[in-house]
Amino acid sequence: MLRVRNYLLAAAAVSLAVFLTAPGPAQAAQPKRVTVTGEIIDSWCYLSEIMWATGSAHHQCAVWCARGGVPVGILGDDEQVYIVLKMNNDPDVIGDHGILRMQSNEVVVEGDLYERDSVKYLAIDTIIDDHGIVNHSHDEFDIQPFGD
Amino acid sequence: MNKSYKSILAGLFALALFTLPGLAVAADSWGLPGEEEVRFDAKVTDVLCVLSGDCPPDCGAGKRVLGLLKADGELVLPVKNGGPFTGAVADLLPYCGTTVTADGLFTVNYGVKTFAMQFVKPQEAKWRRANQFVKDWAAAHGLEAKDKKARSWFRNDETIVEIIGEQGKLGLKDKGIEP
Repeated sequence: MLRVRNYLLAAAAVSLAVFLTAPGPAQAAQPKRVTVTGEIIDSWCYLSEIMWATGSAHHQCAVWCARGGVPVGILGDDEQVYIVLKMNNDPDVIGDHGILRMQSNEVVVEGDLYERDSVKYLAIDTIIDDHGIVNHSHDEFDIQPFGD
Repeated sequence: MNKSYKSILAGLFALALFTLPGLAVAADSWGLPGEEEVRFDAKVTDVLCVLSGDCPPDCGAGKRVLGLLKADGELVLPVKNGGPFTGAVADLLPYCGTTVTADGLFTVNYGVKTFAMQFVKPQEAKWRRANQFVKDWAAAHGLEAKDKKARSWFRNDETIVEIIGEQGKLGLKDKGIEP
């Protein structure tokens, strides 16, 4: 009987240790609910400024980069860059996914905002509106890069 | 040549042999805003896992945004690797949950700090160029990574060709606007 009790105590101790050390919501940061209006962008080209990186001028390149695994962002009306971690509650946002077909569109989205080490991350659960491409930057900048 | 010259030359040769592999993987400057050449150790992690506690066992199998979590708690966001129009997820995914040494460039712009990874060194392994996406794309198409078609993968990828075919290069084909 004593041996059984010792086993149960040991199991309880191990369970407690696993609970305390495992990554999980208890250790996660508290997000803020936000609504963001902005353009879906290629985070690399915009932040590195290696070319004009918004609107129709950069649409093809934005598709290239999103397909190539560069994180997709949203350039908000507040001029902040949000890195998208989920779109429509789907965490599959790298490579071949729904957001790939929404590049350069102006959208209104709602979700959880996390801020960590200067980066704003957005886990979007609701696409409230999708206005398509409204930034006709090709009038001024042609096609970026290469001109074709 | 006397004995001491021979000794000096032998020493320099040995020093060169010892240091060249390190020099070969030093990050190249790309002239980025707020650029800093860096090398650091960090654990490969799924960003959503770190922030929200939603943690699939395989870091999301290459479909999630990956990060590099340093021992001091800083979460670094790698947005680019050394390939054309490609990110670093394919380079990091095999090392999910382990510590790697990453070499490349920090860039800070609009108040946002991101990382362009040019080389990665897994534990107990050699340095690798961070260009895995193109290698994977080439292999999936039965090509060598140096093949011209693979180097221009972004012009030849079936998904991209389909999307640009539907939307146009400007994304405005549905509005009748094309280059």
